[in-house]
Amino acid sequence: MVQTAANVRVKVLFFGRLRELIGIAEESGELPEGTTLAQVFERYAERFPKLGGFRGSMVVSRNQEFAAWETRVAAGDEIAFLPPVSGG
Amino acid sequence: MIWKSENRKWKFGKKAWKSLFAKKLGLGMSDEDKIALVREPIANAALAECVRAGKDGATVTFDGHVRNESHGRATSYLEYEAYEAMAIAKMKEIAAQIHEKFAIDRVAMVHRLGRLDIGETSVFIAVSAPHRGAAFDACRYAIDTLKKTVPIWKKEFFADGAVWAEGELPPTPPSAKSAS
Repeated sequence: MVQTAANVRVKVLFFGRLRELIGIAEESGELPEGTTLAQVFERYAERFPKLGGFRGSMVVSRNQEFAAWETRVAAGDEIAFLPPVSGG
Repeated sequence: MIWKSENRKWKFGKKAWKSLFAKKLGLGMSDEDKIALVREPIANAALAECVRAGKDGATVTFDGHVRNESHGRATSYLEYEAYEAMAIAKMKEIAAQIHEKFAIDRVAMVHRLGRLDIGETSVFIAVSAPHRGAAFDACRYAIDTLKKTVPIWKKEFFADGAVWAEGELPPTPPSAKSAS
């Protein structure tokens, strides 16, 4: 898998306990093209070590669809890290 | 509102609808179904009324409201938050699914966000159908699926603290190799 040097701009959202834990609801940033959603999360877990423990009890969405962690980001993506849902 | 209003009598005016669906009007809702997130009290009776048409013989409703305790601890109030755009999309998917799976007529599905006190309705679903069986089945499917797949989160506040409700992990798709 070839990783190009180009960066893509994405928006990242956090909700519920994850948002509370790191104090960020939304931010935009640039990532190397080809970065996987799992790698995006790892970047945040490095910044916020407390986040790492939640990896097994959350899901991720890309452009408002639940996504596999191996999914690669593309320019303009909206990525969201979602704790277990508890509506109703 | 974008209601089909042929041969129907309304017990509430346009103002009531405006408040009911607040800013969620016109987000691609079909003529038939009412899907919304609101921050004010849900108008349960109006929603139950709005799904019924002449061809229907039954309306089944689900009224989810705030319980006064959680795991033996007295609840003071709840706060709900949502990934709003995705939540609306997922609720519309559920409506589409129950139309496909069951012989129903119309669906109303509204979830409230923000602070809710004990006894207040957090989610209300109404499903009409020519015959009751489909309405019961569809309403049950809708609330069960909403609780598993719609990105809404509940925080429970107690006299001595607060916790995020445990919740359920939505099913995710199998590995996708590339972003496309």
